[in-house]
Amino acid sequence: MIRPDLTTDQCLKCNICTSACPVASVSDDFLGPKAVGPQAARYRYPHRPPSVPSLTWCSGCGICSLVCPHGVAVAEINIQAKAEIEKRRKTYLRDYLISRPELLGRLASPIASLANKSLSSRPMRWLLEKSLAISSNAPLPTFASQSLRTRLRSKCVDTPPDPGLESDQMVAFFHGCSSNYYEPDLGILAVTILEQLGQSVIIPPQKCCGLPLQSNGLLTAARRYAQANISWLAPFARRGIPIVGTSTSCTLSLKHDYRVILGLQDDESNIVASSTFDFFEFLTHQLADEIDQLDFKPLIADVIYHPPCQLRSHGIGFPALKILERIPGLQIRLSESDCCGVAGTYGIKQEKSLVAYNVGRTIFEQAKQSEVDFVLSDSETCRWWIAKHTGLPVYHPLEIMAKAMDIV
Amino acid sequence: MPEISTQLLVIGGGVTGLGVAWDACLRGLKVVLIEQNDIGQGTSGRYHGVLHSGARYAISDPGSAKDCATENPIIRHIAPHTIEETGGFFVSTPADPIDYPDRWFAACHEHGVYVEEIPTDLALRTEPSINPRISRAFRVLDASLDSFELLQTLVVAIQRAGGQVWLRHRLEDLTLQGDAVVGAEVTNLTSGERITIRANYFVNAAGPWVRRIANLAGIDIPIALGKGAMIALASRPVHTIINRCRPPSDGDIIVPVGTVAVLGTTDVEVESPTELAIGQREIDFLLAQCEILLPELAKSRPLRAWAGIRPLYRSSGEGFGRTRGLPRGHVLLDHNDRDGVKGMASIFSGKLTTFRLMAEQAVDLVVEQIGVGLSCRTAEIPLDPERTQFFQLPKRFEEIATPDQTEREQIICECEWVNRSAIEEAIKSSSSLDLDDIRRKLRLGMGPCQAGFCGYRAAGIAYEVAPSPHTDGRLEAFLRARWRGLRPLGWGETLRQMEITRRIYVDLLHTPETQEPPQ
Amino acid sequence: MTEIVVVGGGLTGLLASIFAVDRGAKVTLVARGRGGLTLSHGCIDVWGKATPSRALSRLRMSHPYRLAGAESLRTGLEFLRDLCHQADLPYIGNISRNLRLPTALGTIHTSALAPKSLALGDLRDNTPITIAGVDGFRDFYPELVVANLLKAGIAINDALQLPLPLSAARRDPYAMDLARSFDDQHFRDEVARIWKPRLSGIKRLGVPAILGLFNPQLAHEELQERLGMALFEIPTLPPSLPGLRLERLLQRKAMEMGVFVIEGPKVLGRVDGSAKPARVSGVVLQTAGGGRTLTADIVLLATGGVLHGGLVFQQNGRVQESVLDLPVSYDEGRQHWTAYSPLETQPYANYGLRVNEQMQPLGADGLPIYTNLFCAGGLIAGADRSGEGSRQGIGVATAYRAIEAALG
Repeated sequence: MIRPDLTTDQCLKCNICTSACPVASVSDDFLGPKAVGPQAARYRYPHRPPSVPSLTWCSGCGICSLVCPHGVAVAEINIQAKAEIEKRRKTYLRDYLISRPELLGRLASPIASLANKSLSSRPMRWLLEKSLAISSNAPLPTFASQSLRTRLRSKCVDTPPDPGLESDQMVAFFHGCSSNYYEPDLGILAVTILEQLGQSVIIPPQKCCGLPLQSNGLLTAARRYAQANISWLAPFARRGIPIVGTSTSCTLSLKHDYRVILGLQDDESNIVASSTFDFFEFLTHQLADEIDQLDFKPLIADVIYHPPCQLRSHGIGFPALKILERIPGLQIRLSESDCCGVAGTYGIKQEKSLVAYNVGRTIFEQAKQSEVDFVLSDSETCRWWIAKHTGLPVYHPLEIMAKAMDIV
Repeated sequence: MPEISTQLLVIGGGVTGLGVAWDACLRGLKVVLIEQNDIGQGTSGRYHGVLHSGARYAISDPGSAKDCATENPIIRHIAPHTIEETGGFFVSTPADPIDYPDRWFAACHEHGVYVEEIPTDLALRTEPSINPRISRAFRVLDASLDSFELLQTLVVAIQRAGGQVWLRHRLEDLTLQGDAVVGAEVTNLTSGERITIRANYFVNAAGPWVRRIANLAGIDIPIALGKGAMIALASRPVHTIINRCRPPSDGDIIVPVGTVAVLGTTDVEVESPTELAIGQREIDFLLAQCEILLPELAKSRPLRAWAGIRPLYRSSGEGFGRTRGLPRGHVLLDHNDRDGVKGMASIFSGKLTTFRLMAEQAVDLVVEQIGVGLSCRTAEIPLDPERTQFFQLPKRFEEIATPDQTEREQIICECEWVNRSAIEEAIKSSSSLDLDDIRRKLRLGMGPCQAGFCGYRAAGIAYEVAPSPHTDGRLEAFLRARWRGLRPLGWGETLRQMEITRRIYVDLLHTPETQEPPQ
Repeated sequence: MTEIVVVGGGLTGLLASIFAVDRGAKVTLVARGRGGLTLSHGCIDVWGKATPSRALSRLRMSHPYRLAGAESLRTGLEFLRDLCHQADLPYIGNISRNLRLPTALGTIHTSALAPKSLALGDLRDNTPITIAGVDGFRDFYPELVVANLLKAGIAINDALQLPLPLSAARRDPYAMDLARSFDDQHFRDEVARIWKPRLSGIKRLGVPAILGLFNPQLAHEELQERLGMALFEIPTLPPSLPGLRLERLLQRKAMEMGVFVIEGPKVLGRVDGSAKPARVSGVVLQTAGGGRTLTADIVLLATGGVLHGGLVFQQNGRVQESVLDLPVSYDEGRQHWTAYSPLETQPYANYGLRVNEQMQPLGADGLPIYTNLFCAGGLIAGADRSGEGSRQGIGVATAYRAIEAALG
């Protein structure tokens, strides 16, 4: 049983996490991951947990856990501690809403163009900031009028198909809220690429991964979502069908957060975790031979690749690079920032927006100064955020791959 | 040679001696107390932190049990700020005798010790780290007590009441006139000066040294020295004191106190009061025993190990060997009555929980012998009237951790949240610049990093406040003292912590090795 | 192309991966966390006790320097020096004469190579020194530094405190926080303006190592010019800037050169069960979702000693090598591992793997255990790196030699 709070004793106080923390580097309101994490944990008693206001500045980016050489689950400790604070107070309406992108998607999709128009109007954004403290500068996604599941209805299944010759090359696609309600074209591209590589794609039953709920400290609700996803996906995993997702946040939840942060640790959650792959991880790991056969069209462009902080936490490196490097003419620079600042829903909150912007300043300035054509990132919130603050187009690397494969 | 006169000279600045001095001051006596080291370096500073409910001794030592039961609420009244209301559990693990709990329960009732049986699942819900296979659970009124805090408060209280506390003053000899003790020869270890103290009465409260002191008056007290080892865990896996429900033995108690949890204890006879080294077998045994109570113990980091020495009265002339079986109640010897030597009494053994009662009985004897002094008031008068809150570590932490302060203090020891002005204050008001003294006062360097980071900072501050050529020596001595408690636990995480300290003090700072300890 | 996996992202692992990719190998570097460099002074200690060029040839044959050979050290150092020069972080010094640098305690640190901003503090230069601390920074005490340097007969003028143009911080700054301020042009201008009048008559000034993280060379040179005096840095408590700068430089260089870096997972080795003579087939990464196998032609272990988990010291008196459970040279029984005082030589520091001149770990028979397994850095037995002042030098020399033997 993995319990983050049992790793606090492994902290040697070396401050490597504090030195790498993107938020601590721009804000002294944040005491630092070590101070509010393993250090404060020694003062947290169940009957009298202290409130450490500084803790709310933690964005949950996970860099601290990643750089800790001693195995302290700093980020997980902090996320759980934040949730404890949340439990003891009333949830803001704003947090309730922004934690439920699936709900918002379902409500707004039928009236997509109206919803989009009103959300992009200045007066509406002013109102949202004043009433719900959603920063008027924060990029909000646009709703698609037809969800991915609607468009790919024929691929949606309730249970894994009977075993046959097909299941060897079968892939279960985890679209997440973004590829379903906000960017279904992206989802369709992902499916197309997989099919071109000889995979047969099915779409299992699923709901929002629940990460926004978790990030906002609403762990009970997050657990409900998690349990639902695990129950639906486990049969596919047991059949040996890999679960592939294009959003690095969703796949991290399935791989790690469900078990370690939400505490759902059993055979089902374990098999879902070990069967989940990030899109490029799947391509480079399981389809290496097929990828080798591919001929990429040249794409002359100067780009920055920004690996999302969530991707780093997968512990698989940056597999997209292995494919992007093969596209002739593509000049790739790596982002100088470990985190772009948005951290899911963190950056759209008005009280956090300045700190979030400052965290991302490094990448924004790098993009402007190096005069690149566009930016690439595997996470939707990163894409919207970087696009907003640089004015540049920001794509998922798979869109570039699709272009180089001549899938339009 | 300077000479002073007083009514009562107390030898020994542990909780017993300080308790006696405090009681005597309140009765209007003129008191001087001498202590050879700093406050808290002896057994009182090395104990495992329990304010006993008495339950532990209900069968093995009913006298102690009764005393603890009556004193427990009194200590809560007079020194609440030193106490955390952890409560205590007694649990029967699969390794414990099935018949013991009922007998023990009856004995508790008989001797006035509060005990209540609770469902095991309530115990497990309160403390999920306890062995899930417990068959029975009981709640008692144990609490955890910070002895450093208690000792410091006693010192201040004595001084406020007109008494004198002389630290770093060692007793060299006692002077007799006929069959009475009349004077003491004392060395001021800081200046080297010798002083004579004349007094009407002498109380020997020297703990493990009680026999040596008595010998100076030509008296012998057969004492066994029982060394008890303890291990502090870096954080608290439990927040209640957990005891095994069985005849008291080694390694059967876990005490959360402050930011750590203390695993205790062992009992090994030693020859001398300074034999404090802890062997590998003791450590392994202690951890193995405590693992029966906390199956996940291996996931906690043992922070440091130390030992305290109990003076135990060998009244029936038993030989060297097992000290576990010797009675543990306190002993008051009227040397006039016992040895024909007037003007002196020895008081020793017993529990920290009963220190006030021990002091009361001792000072009752003093008053009777010298014919002067009012009646005891220590049960009514709080030690520090301004501190009425029970020790609330989370609250203190919150006050410090809030970033929105206009006058924010600079934090020097990050693990234990010790700030710069407290350190400067302690240095200025101390007669020695020993960083270990500051540690005892403020908990500097007592956290997981064991002075790895704050050691250097404290040395720098010490130099700025009180420049001295001995600063490096003091830094090294500080590190050596911390290292001594880490070495017995030198594997796993602890060894890594030790290495990171070396990376800083050797690789980065090239701290010089001095051969002798600083003066 | 030969595929090599380097395990360990400290100085040794980073250098080894750079040496390997320079020789045309396909390199994957797996790092559990960040580590040693964050704690270190950023200098390359080759032999602190005496002149390296003279001392090393006299060492016993089993010492890592002798096994790696003098050429490996020389070539490795040259390579490193060139690399740093190109990246605008020049290192000064050579193995014919150690630099004598002041420490934050006012003692003397002898080292072969140091970054320029530190090397300018070389005490062989007799120009009198003034040492300055900065307000609000608790990790540097100029008076103590001065007192101890005076005791050692060094020409010191004075100790002083300098203010920084920062608004009241809400938490105590680490060296990192101050360094980020120094990366900003306006801040540097302000500092120069405030400091200059307080420093009249001073020819050489030593300050704690806080002069920038991203552009340290620029920050240092600019300030030096503005103040009109020699300015040098003294490394202080971790997180240590000179170490961080070097780490950053090497990480970026490695990625630029095409090393595939995977940060995060713990690693277990995999043995090719059928091969004779015995070979390793690769490693298994403990990623967020579970184990992922990485096959390789060569595996190089640069996992360090006790501090970062290369060697695990167990309660039962055993010392275990953490990736492949290779035989470790050590004293059985905990009582032997540590010395009485923290500052003396520690037996445990000498423990590690026995290797041959090709840096291959050896079995009890004195032969390499696996033909394609190599090892470098702190994991190798036979040297008290702290006592000798040889930590970084051994890392450089053995990394070079291991790659040369593996790929050459």
